[in-house]
Amino acid sequence: MKPMSCEHESSIIRALHSGEWSSELRLHAAECADCSQTLHLAEALGAAARRAEADFHAPDAHWILQRSRVMAREIAVRRVTRLLAAMRILAAVYVATAVLWLLRGYAVLPYREVASSMHGTYAGFALIGAVAAAVCVAAGLWPILRDRSEVG
Amino acid sequence: MEDASMIAAWIAPGREQTAAGEEGFRRLYEATSRPLWGYLHHASGRPDVADDLLQETYCKFLLRKAPAMDEAECRSYLFRIATNLLHNRARSRDDAAREEPAESGAQTDEDARLDVRAAICHLKPRERELLWLAYVEGMSHAEIAATTGLGVMSIRILLYRARQKASAFLRPERIKS
Repeated sequence: MKPMSCEHESSIIRALHSGEWSSELRLHAAECADCSQTLHLAEALGAAARRAEADFHAPDAHWILQRSRVMAREIAVRRVTRLLAAMRILAAVYVATAVLWLLRGYAVLPYREVASSMHGTYAGFALIGAVAAAVCVAAGLWPILRDRSEVG
Repeated sequence: MEDASMIAAWIAPGREQTAAGEEGFRRLYEATSRPLWGYLHHASGRPDVADDLLQETYCKFLLRKAPAMDEAECRSYLFRIATNLLHNRARSRDDAAREEPAESGAQTDEDARLDVRAAICHLKPRERELLWLAYVEGMSHAEIAATTGLGVMSIRILLYRARQKASAFLRPERIKS
């Protein structure tokens, strides 16, 4: 099977870049068809690279740094936004589960009997607890519903 | 080289925020931006795309917080990011090279220039990348494999085919070193 390229190809490329040619390598490059082809192509591409580089005007490094910092901030904001979105979903699931549980419990458990047996201080504590729970749920729902209405 | 190694080491762990890190980045940028732009320009076939991808390459390099690297590793890493960006762009857009293959027939220097352009325009993006990395950047097959994500044996075969294809458009007597 014919090898894909001459074993001296890499030496030819190295010599072309460093400018350090041994007489044997130069002779080989002239005689070997593969290496000759490689050399011509590398010279042509090298000349094209030099021409292209002459037209290149690099943007300021400071500007690149500034842009990377802006990108870093944007990435951080996106991460936090994703986290907040996940927390909102969890809160909504929690509220829905709590409501279902309470409704089911209301149907199954004798809440009315328990409530009627409470009076005085017990009834006061129960009422304060219920109001505090309602306020917490409302406070949790309000930003979610506000954001949704703004998005919608 | 040692100076450049220190520069690269400053940059990598996210020290670009400091004055020393900024100066280090500036020096690394000056040393690598020109060859990187040449690679992007010839691989994409469009100078405007090369401008965009060059900036994106350095931004990604700064954002990735890679471990401390010496200059050669930084260079290789930058070429790897640039190659990935070229592939992403090729996947997301049908980005035909704007430069048209040149007609043959002019003279000397201009002829050589047109021949090279014609050769580049007739190659696939992957072939352009391989030829550029091997013959302009002087990378070994292993280094090209690390940069492009291909296997070393594949590089050998693909490079051979790309060389054969490109050489068909080049006339040796017109090439000036």
